[in-house]
Amino acid sequence: MEKPATSPRSGRTLGPPIVICDKVVKQFGSNVVLREVSLTVRQGEVVVIAGRSGSGKSTLLRCIDHLETIEGGTINACGHLMGYRVDRLGRRTELPDRKVARQRRDMGMVFQSFNLFPHLNVLHNITLAPVRISGEEAAEAERHARELLDKVGLPDKADAYPSQLSGGQQQRVAIARALAMRPRVMLFDEPTSALDPEMISEVLDVMIGLSDGGMTMIVVTHEMGFARAAADRVLLMHGGEIVEDAPPDAFFDAPESEHTRLFLSKIL
Amino acid sequence: MSWSWDHFMRFLFSEYMLNGVWTTIWLATLAMLIGCTLGVIIAFMKMSRNIAVRTFANTYIWLWRGTPLLVQMVIIYTVLPKVGLKLGVIESAIIALSLHEAAYFAEIVRSGILSVNKGQDDASRALGMTWAQRMRYVIVPQATRIVIPPLGNQFNLMIKTTSLASVISMEELFRRTQQLAQIEFKVLEAYMCAACWYLLMTTIWGQIQKMLEAHYDRPFGPVADAADPKSGKPLGDAAAQV
Ligand SMILES: Nc1ncnc2c1ncn2[C@@H]1O[C@H](COP(=O)(O)OP(=O)(O)OP(=O)(O)O)[C@@H](O)[C@H]1O
Ligand SMILES: [Mg+2]
Repeated sequence: MEKPATSPRSGRTLGPPIVICDKVVKQFGSNVVLREVSLTVRQGEVVVIAGRSGSGKSTLLRCIDHLETIEGGTINACGHLMGYRVDRLGRRTELPDRKVARQRRDMGMVFQSFNLFPHLNVLHNITLAPVRISGEEAAEAERHARELLDKVGLPDKADAYPSQLSGGQQQRVAIARALAMRPRVMLFDEPTSALDPEMISEVLDVMIGLSDGGMTMIVVTHEMGFARAAADRVLLMHGGEIVEDAPPDAFFDAPESEHTRLFLSKIL
Repeated sequence: MSWSWDHFMRFLFSEYMLNGVWTTIWLATLAMLIGCTLGVIIAFMKMSRNIAVRTFANTYIWLWRGTPLLVQMVIIYTVLPKVGLKLGVIESAIIALSLHEAAYFAEIVRSGILSVNKGQDDASRALGMTWAQRMRYVIVPQATRIVIPPLGNQFNLMIKTTSLASVISMEELFRRTQQLAQIEFKVLEAYMCAACWYLLMTTIWGQIQKMLEAHYDRPFGPVADAADPKSGKPLGDAAAQV
């Protein structure tokens, strides 16, 4: 059962499991969107999730961050049982907003539509949460923010407002904003899908840099080049289930699932 | 009955009428301030998770928007004292106008908050903000811009609506006009005076409102002309695509 502690793909040393989804069930009304999804991600691992529209990829990511409630199963992330308290009889009650907020601070999330705060400049977008929520010293937060802006290749945009930036630049700021909370896991939901083609690589380069730095990442994307370059495992979701879970070589060259073959034939 | 400029001018700047104008101004301002504060509270109650709180807010809005202010005013002034709540004219007028305004403003605030892009809430939740932090740092600063124009319209209405307080003998501009008209039998002159004063008040407010709206209609950030100033919606994702 014990998986190798080294990624066969990247040679990265993997730590203990940091995200554990166990038989997660998610329904929107009568529409079952996740059907007992189980997934373990180790510290330092980069997992890419692919799948066609409506297969439940975004929903899975949102459940991991407890942006959605779940109807069944459990999600353990960064040592927290996400969103719920389970009593001795096994009954679940949702945690109060305050407690969930605390749990979320260990994870960063990047959205397809960037969702930068339009009323704040880039610097304040990045320092808002560290200063207001983690109580970080303003000067230290700013120093860290500028360091992160360097890292995402936007050292001179601290004073710009989101409306003055291109999509690729906005998404890189969004990554810096998430990193400012020093998360242990980063979740990406189609971070390049809203971008013009010429801006995709600038964002992917930042993500590859992050993965080289040892960040644990769960990335929903259709960028199969990124999967080949950076992923330890590639998953295919279909109809609310994970139907393929393999290292990139196996995923692309010898997929087990019929759905994966079909998916690859359409996308490649 | 011929028009008398003499009476008109005398009425227009009479101390009696000027006092009425002043009463109208502070009555409208005070009712607006209290009404908006209550309105914000009711708006948040309406968005509460607690069904009892929500029901209270809904019922409040339903009652106050569903009945004429005139009726509300008379009830507050004449009926409440009978059940032991003794209120003077001024208190009754302030309370009636404030509570009435609150019902309308609550809906304005709520739609302002709901119109902030849902991605903003996702992003701030993902950063680990509590509900109060999301409201304070992310949602309310953006909703404010949406609420400002209708807020201005509400104050314009309020200036004129205070005239209804005359039915409970509040000595504001309209009641003083009525009395002047009766004393001197110069009805047209007196009411033209009132019209002029109301028009002056709403016009001045209109100018202030214009400045406020211009200020809040700019896109966020220093370079106002970077986005289309005519579109009126230079925020968030819309601007991202420019
Ligand atoms: N808030 C919601 N309310 C109701 N149904 C929803 C909601 N969000 C998602 N769904 C449904 O859940 C299913 C899975 O959606 P999800 O967004 O997770 O798919 P996805 O794999 O991310 O697709 P895409 O590639 O289009 O982003 C879809 O059928 C969708 O209609
Ligand atoms: Mg999606």
